[in-house]
Amino acid sequence: MAENDDGLEELGLSQSLTRRQVIRRGLGGFLIVYGGALPKAAAAASPKFRRQQYKNTLKIIQWSHFVPAYDVWFDKTYTKNWGDKHDTDVQVDHIALAQLPARAQAEVAAQGGHDIFGHLSPQAGLEDQVINHKEIIQEVTHKVGKISELGFHSCYNPKTKKWHGFPDNYVPDPIHFRKDLWKQVGVKPSTWEDVRKAAPKLKALGHPVGLGMSNELDSNMLLIALMQCYGAFIQDKNARVAINSKHTIEALKVMRDIFKSGMTNEVFAWTAASNNQGYLSGRLALAVNAISIARTAEDSNPTLAKNTGIAPIPRGPVQRLGLEHVMGVYTVWKFTKNKTLAKRFIADLEINYQGAFKNSKYYNFPAFKGAVHNYKKQLLSDTHTPKGKYGVLDLIANKYTTNLGYPGFSNAAIDEIFNTWLIPQMFAEVAQGKMTPAEAAKAAEHDAKRIFAKWRSRGKI
Amino acid sequence: MWQTLRERGLSYLIVGPFAIVLAFPFYWMLVTAFKTNGDLYNLDNVPFTYHPAEAALGEKLPFRQQHWLPLGFEHATPSHVSFIFNDTNYTRWIENTAVVGGLVVLITLLLAVPAGYSLARLSGRWGQNVGVGIFLTYLVPPTLLFLPLSRVISKLGLQDRLWSLVLVYPSFTIPFATWLLMGFFRTIPLELEDAALIDGCSRLKALARVIFPISIPGILTVVIFSFSLCVNEFVYAITFISGTKQHTISAGVPTDLIRGDVYFWQSLMAATLIPSIPLALLYNSFLNRFIAGFTGGAFR
Repeated sequence: MAENDDGLEELGLSQSLTRRQVIRRGLGGFLIVYGGALPKAAAAASPKFRRQQYKNTLKIIQWSHFVPAYDVWFDKTYTKNWGDKHDTDVQVDHIALAQLPARAQAEVAAQGGHDIFGHLSPQAGLEDQVINHKEIIQEVTHKVGKISELGFHSCYNPKTKKWHGFPDNYVPDPIHFRKDLWKQVGVKPSTWEDVRKAAPKLKALGHPVGLGMSNELDSNMLLIALMQCYGAFIQDKNARVAINSKHTIEALKVMRDIFKSGMTNEVFAWTAASNNQGYLSGRLALAVNAISIARTAEDSNPTLAKNTGIAPIPRGPVQRLGLEHVMGVYTVWKFTKNKTLAKRFIADLEINYQGAFKNSKYYNFPAFKGAVHNYKKQLLSDTHTPKGKYGVLDLIANKYTTNLGYPGFSNAAIDEIFNTWLIPQMFAEVAQGKMTPAEAAKAAEHDAKRIFAKWRSRGKI
Repeated sequence: MWQTLRERGLSYLIVGPFAIVLAFPFYWMLVTAFKTNGDLYNLDNVPFTYHPAEAALGEKLPFRQQHWLPLGFEHATPSHVSFIFNDTNYTRWIENTAVVGGLVVLITLLLAVPAGYSLARLSGRWGQNVGVGIFLTYLVPPTLLFLPLSRVISKLGLQDRLWSLVLVYPSFTIPFATWLLMGFFRTIPLELEDAALIDGCSRLKALARVIFPISIPGILTVVIFSFSLCVNEFVYAITFISGTKQHTISAGVPTDLIRGDVYFWQSLMAATLIPSIPLALLYNSFLNRFIAGFTGGAFR
């Protein structure tokens, strides 16, 4: 027994303490630190207390917005006011962006969950699980005007004539670049050719460009946008696979050249936050991302923020055409019992989108242009220096942003290609020298055709 | 005396580097938790000490005048640590984790101890095979099971309740605990039980009065490991519970402190470091018995 008390002596505990006393004190301290008292167990495990004065309950789940103030406004102001007007207890839950697809699948499997699910991309693959959102589209159209082409092509299935989601908002995808560094190399990132020329010079300065080729959201969006600038597309407007083309091969070559001369291997292992972190640390000279980079820089590094330029996606030999960074899509499950209330909520949110636009720090652009008045003026009036820098978002939103799957619709096959990272893998294989551009395009075509055939056989395309 | 000093010195020389390497990440987390954004994101700064930087929005620098503080701590900010206590449901997450962990450990002990004993003592040859089979269920990953279990939870009406986790977590703690305890019970000499039985104890009394007191190390191992498994589990926690007030730490921290592509690094470091400390202290307090519990099954 004595040797077992050596540990006690080392802890500075008296030898007169028995083992039982030590165990008791240790467990007691553990319980105090973790605070796991039984009453709290009952409270934590019990159902949420419903406020007696509300007749209805509406449950919403959406991502944790990168602007915390947006969630505070949405949860504590907007939904509270709406709930008071409609005698409804609106409960909003948040989830990390990366967990949205898994959570959606879990609710489908469970046939239970939230009344409104807020996705960050069109969910054509879930078409059979959700209602037809046509009613909401019509209601909002009557009140604020037509939906944008982007919204229409994102959430409508021309084959089944069904709106498989309600496009609430989208986020323009500009480039962020270090004005001081690009000035030093004497180039502006206006075309992809400019980026290709400047990349080795910037890398030599210790500030490579940051264009991901990894299985994550930013890489997916950037590379598809690059393809579009070179006239390459995954499908044509009739939903036929079009990825194996000379334009795709050109885009692959450009990206390979940029990688070899101006980037490092880390881009193959990036997450959605990597380009943000690389840019905010002052290392990257260019990143393609929504304005979360610029907004974070304003808070964390004002000097960097002043040196950051925001511009549309560089032009390719065919055109300048980017994608939305993310698209906020609300869906109402077929199994929900609160369909009428859910539709009302979604419609009201879109009709009165000014609050969302402003509280998201202009991250969320409404899919219905008429839902926010004079948003160019609001963008230009942002007080962060250089003043007016966000005005370019209006140009990007109106002229250089299109839907995933352009020139066709965002169908289930495009959804699957996007979620299985076909495009980043195609670019990565070429950049790493594992395949030639022609081989990679052909392999991608083979995979894409298989996916399209599957969804065609299900009657969705 | 010189020999003792030499032996001790040699021990510290061997163990010291390991201790530094293993403890260093915790030190780094602690330093990062109090860094300002400007300091953290500046790649020219040494990450293990503090450096002057412009305070970002919401950052307070209360130690600015205290130049005597080590490691440049006068440039540190407590704002990111206080953020998790004031602006998130962090303390609620810790409570929820403790509640779920405590209940699951209790259920695990109630089921795994008799199961382990039965399989070790009473089941003959096929007991070993059954034990291995039970352990193999532990190897089925939650990523395969979370979808069908969602349906089960929904049917039971337990969605968004902590009881969903209390129900599901034993599915991986019990197999592991049973397998561990099987090995441990086998190390206890049969003669002890026989002696108790000869002296007039029933099987249950022998179990309670002779076997269990000797098995404390193994049982403690099961307690600590089961609790750790509950604290670390993520997939079920994020799938079955969506309300922020019902989250456990493993779900609440990434949901509220990773927003889109923005990581609140300092708050993340603080949020993950704080619950690690009691666990580390618990491991340390029962270290000898913990090691005995693990190695007990190895010598048979």
